[in-house]
Amino acid sequence: MKVVVASAHRYPDLARLWFRSVARDLVPALKGAGADVEVVLFRDTTPEGFEPRYFPGATLLAPSFEALDFIAFYDAALERPGDILFLLDADVFVLDGPWVASLLGHFEDPTVAAVSLLRRTAQPGVFALLARRETYRMLPAPVLAPSYEGLERWPRAVNRQPGDRAALALRARGKKIVDVSPAAAAAHLADFHGTTVVRASREIFGSLLGPRFDALFAEKPYFAMGAYDNLLLGSLFRAVFGAPFAAAPGGVHLSGSATPEDLRDALATIHDRTSLARLVAYFERSDRALTRLAAREGLTPGALHVPRVLPRGRVLEARAWAAARRLFGRGA
Amino acid sequence: MTDAPPLVLGKGEFHHKETFGRGTVNRGAVLLECTWDGGVFESGVMLGGLFRSGTFAGGVFWGGVWLGGTWKGGDWEHGFGPDGKYHPRTVHP
Repeated sequence: MKVVVASAHRYPDLARLWFRSVARDLVPALKGAGADVEVVLFRDTTPEGFEPRYFPGATLLAPSFEALDFIAFYDAALERPGDILFLLDADVFVLDGPWVASLLGHFEDPTVAAVSLLRRTAQPGVFALLARRETYRMLPAPVLAPSYEGLERWPRAVNRQPGDRAALALRARGKKIVDVSPAAAAAHLADFHGTTVVRASREIFGSLLGPRFDALFAEKPYFAMGAYDNLLLGSLFRAVFGAPFAAAPGGVHLSGSATPEDLRDALATIHDRTSLARLVAYFERSDRALTRLAAREGLTPGALHVPRVLPRGRVLEARAWAAARRLFGRGA
Repeated sequence: MTDAPPLVLGKGEFHHKETFGRGTVNRGAVLLECTWDGGVFESGVMLGGLFRSGTFAGGVFWGGVWLGGTWKGGDWEHGFGPDGKYHPRTVHP
């Protein structure tokens, strides 16, 4: 059996962290289970920073007519020779390679088209998806691209995310997609959100918005989540590689996402207790993911020196508010 | 009777889920999940949302739906055509 591990990256620093994890924790386990393995890394940007020496043994692909961007790359990856395509997001880290290898056993059932290790919406997505290549390739191209349905009903059109249409079509044909429960996956994956989107946003329209950009961290939870996760991954990156992470052209650590000061200032303006409680719960989830990922590097959270972005009192207040809502209902 | 003066959107402006009609010119604003219906998009960013009609002459189109209008220039990061299908980077209408 050949497994192709495929991931698209816009930022070389995150790609280095991701590849280090894959080379250490995933590839040996898959090989140990008897699989041939190819790691394919698509750089969704210019070549700067994507030096082959940082990715030994990997196949580095660049944008081309066959894959103009990271979405088109998903379908290009399906064309790589192999039996199983393992699509793995840029900010999803496998902590337990033998666990992933054990999931390959599902493919002994010929009706299994895929195993989804991480689902963020109603459909399996492509965040961490083991896909049987020959089954997916039976679908009309583009197989994995997102789409809109019912545009005449805008804004109530349906936005299908990458991989959604394929999952629906395969299930309609009687194929199975095995969903690993979040509880079962939690110990085996470290999952971060929106880290690339925040950086790409800063890159594309940060200069247009100026100081207004930083207000988005208070207004848009997804931005705050991505910025916080970059802060965590940046601490790990600095500890491992001794270099800044997510730096804007000036070279300042995290300035291409949000510096701790920027994020701290933005979060201080959130006065809605429910919104803050949700963010705190998310941050604590990410803290646990980082602790597990750092442990694979032999590092403790204390060694990472993660900056605090919320005063301890506000965190405690948010936890109490969330607990009260759980106990007494949403009216609390 | 004279036409109403154009609404000019500029740098530093961020709009969310708003609709802009044919009297609008964008010169640097970022529009998140907005509907553009008839104006001239000279620069700025269309982030998600619906481009129903008008002219896209510059700026970045990023993740929105292109229902109709005239593409004159700018950067197509990615988006969707009037049939709902995905158009990757550079494949503008």
